Amino acid sequence: MAPLRALADLDDEERAAAESLLFRLADDEFVIAERYTEWQVVAPTLESDLALSNIAQDELGHARVWFDALGELGYSERDLVWERDPGAFRHSTLVELPFAEGDWADPILRGYLYDVAEDLRLDAVAGSDVRELVDPVEKIRSEEEYHLEHAQNWLERLCDDDAGRERVQSAADRLVPHALTLWVPGPAASAIDSSGLRGESLDATRRQWLDTVASFLESLGLTVPLDPGDDPTESLPDSVGSDGNHTDHWPRLHDELTETYRELGRSDVRRLRGEGT
Amino acid sequence: MDIETVKARAGPREFGRADDMPEEYREAATRMLQFHANSEIMGAYLEKPFIRQSPSVDRKLAFSAKVQDEIGHGQLLYRAAEALGVKTREEMLDELARGDGKFLNCFHYEMTDWAETPMIAFFVDGAAMKRQATLKQSSWTPYAHAMDKICFEEGFHVKHGEDIMRELATGSRKEQRLLQEAFDEWWPRILQFFGPTDDRSTHHDFAADVGLKTMTNDELRNQFLNAYVPKARKYGLEIPDEPRIRTDEDGEYYEVVEADLDWDEFFAIAKNEYPEGLDQIDGRATAREAVAWVRDSLTEADAGGPGATASAGGD
Amino acid sequence: MRWEVFRQAKRGDYHKHCGDVHAPDREMATLFAQIQHGRRMTTESLWVVPSEEVTEIDADDTAFGGRTDKAYRWATAYNVDASFAQEVADSEEEQAEVEQSRGDD
Repeated sequence: MAPLRALADLDDEERAAAESLLFRLADDEFVIAERYTEWQVVAPTLESDLALSNIAQDELGHARVWFDALGELGYSERDLVWERDPGAFRHSTLVELPFAEGDWADPILRGYLYDVAEDLRLDAVAGSDVRELVDPVEKIRSEEEYHLEHAQNWLERLCDDDAGRERVQSAADRLVPHALTLWVPGPAASAIDSSGLRGESLDATRRQWLDTVASFLESLGLTVPLDPGDDPTESLPDSVGSDGNHTDHWPRLHDELTETYRELGRSDVRRLRGEGT
Repeated sequence: MDIETVKARAGPREFGRADDMPEEYREAATRMLQFHANSEIMGAYLEKPFIRQSPSVDRKLAFSAKVQDEIGHGQLLYRAAEALGVKTREEMLDELARGDGKFLNCFHYEMTDWAETPMIAFFVDGAAMKRQATLKQSSWTPYAHAMDKICFEEGFHVKHGEDIMRELATGSRKEQRLLQEAFDEWWPRILQFFGPTDDRSTHHDFAADVGLKTMTNDELRNQFLNAYVPKARKYGLEIPDEPRIRTDEDGEYYEVVEADLDWDEFFAIAKNEYPEGLDQIDGRATAREAVAWVRDSLTEADAGGPGATASAGGD
Repeated sequence: MRWEVFRQAKRGDYHKHCGDVHAPDREMATLFAQIQHGRRMTTESLWVVPSEEVTEIDADDTAFGGRTDKAYRWATAYNVDASFAQEVADSEEEQAEVEQSRGDD
């Protein structure tokens, strides 16, 4: 196998492609984690609270891994989170939608749709030849296995009775179109493929995702609101997120999460163990 | 076991689930554990908004982990309470939602600004940890066991709180000013954490007699002030003139002037009648009610849990 | 039928797994367990549990505590001095030991 290249050694076009790829990976993780934390303290039981909190921390940790890779391309946490314009975030609209109080079917189904996608994405970047993309995959994946099992187990349980299944179905009708935005190609899509940054094209990954998701959800008695043969672009919501166009929920969320930073007039962030002591 | 035997035998980790404890003991221990467990939940409720409002990714991770730990502590403590056979966990969580469950005074106040977070995360958690460390010696073994794990985790909470305070205290003037304002507001509440002053020489309550707790509130408050007043000063915080705290000649014993503290407010809080606290109780109750349908689906599924597989396998 | 046995050596201790017994029912399992596992070792209490009711999840099945950086969970990550309060210092020390034995990188 050819030795891995470092991000810093890529040429300009490849770097732009890598940036584009990394922003989407990082932003999806960052925003889904932010939403998951809304369930802390108010999950159905103490045990389910601990588990979802943990998943939130895992995803935020993964965002940090990809932010660190972007650090190799010259970005600081300040640029990436605290002073970035909300319109410059590249995450999918799936992860930015708010939860309705008590709608536990939503984070569970959303988590499932997202975790299957993340698994396939990790496969794809693991097939690249760039060290900062390949190296973190194994550790991230070890945590993702739990996420997927957690989501599947809950879905089976919730779909065990009619009332629960109806709640999951309603979440599916609402969320699946937003999940499709995970696979909308950006302007750098062909450069990402030609630079060898992912082992599998976005389109092929989307098809795998839909196969997996549809067969599992249908096995639970749910209906997936599109067929594998359908043109996915026809089912997309008005905003897809990854081009910078988001639902109105995102600027509000961004405003809330940057509030302290702005109020205190901070211009930088401290990292743990990052003080040279 | 009769109560005199309990008192005679009372010592660290002396009683457990296999012992036939008198009702008076079981009720006193339940009251104490339920209060403690409720406080973990309501403390988590108070701190949760700061997961979102954290000004760095590492702080956000830490706040999420801390709130998670507190829910975990609630889980451990409700179990230690359940083992007394007086109330189930669901009953205790329902009582908390109805406003019948009691919890620490400091968690009845609103917390809206980042500069306030060290007041809970450093001072209140530090005070709680003082008490919790002594509860490792509780006569109710499940309580002491829960404390082993909780104290193991709490060191992170207190250091995390101090780290936030240090960052504010060494930050901009505005940050320093906001920190002092938060301290001025929270200091009297923190002084009330250990309750009204006991009569040190004669007061012995039932929980102490049966070994559920091993130290008086006065002793704990004094230890707390000895450790935490110098810390506050180290970070440039000025201790407010009132409430007055005086030290004896050796500077080792702190006396809080009780008349300077608002005990009407304290006792209103103790009865769950303080408006901000009621908002928090009700906010949590609404959120709990909204996911009742999920708990129902778990209970129905219980029939398929342990025991259902008992006939299969084995040898 | 097999039963797992957990022994508590003295009041206040944790019950620790110490072995098993083969027995046809719960009563006989407790009779056998007290002889096999309690006749010589100091014993305050035994828990006797049907083996098939013990569910195991091990480090091959899952990454306990995760594998990406979770330094934020540990007292040792915070650059402030814990020695001002014994209980905080004790907690930090216990955490440092566990963190070391986990071998996180």
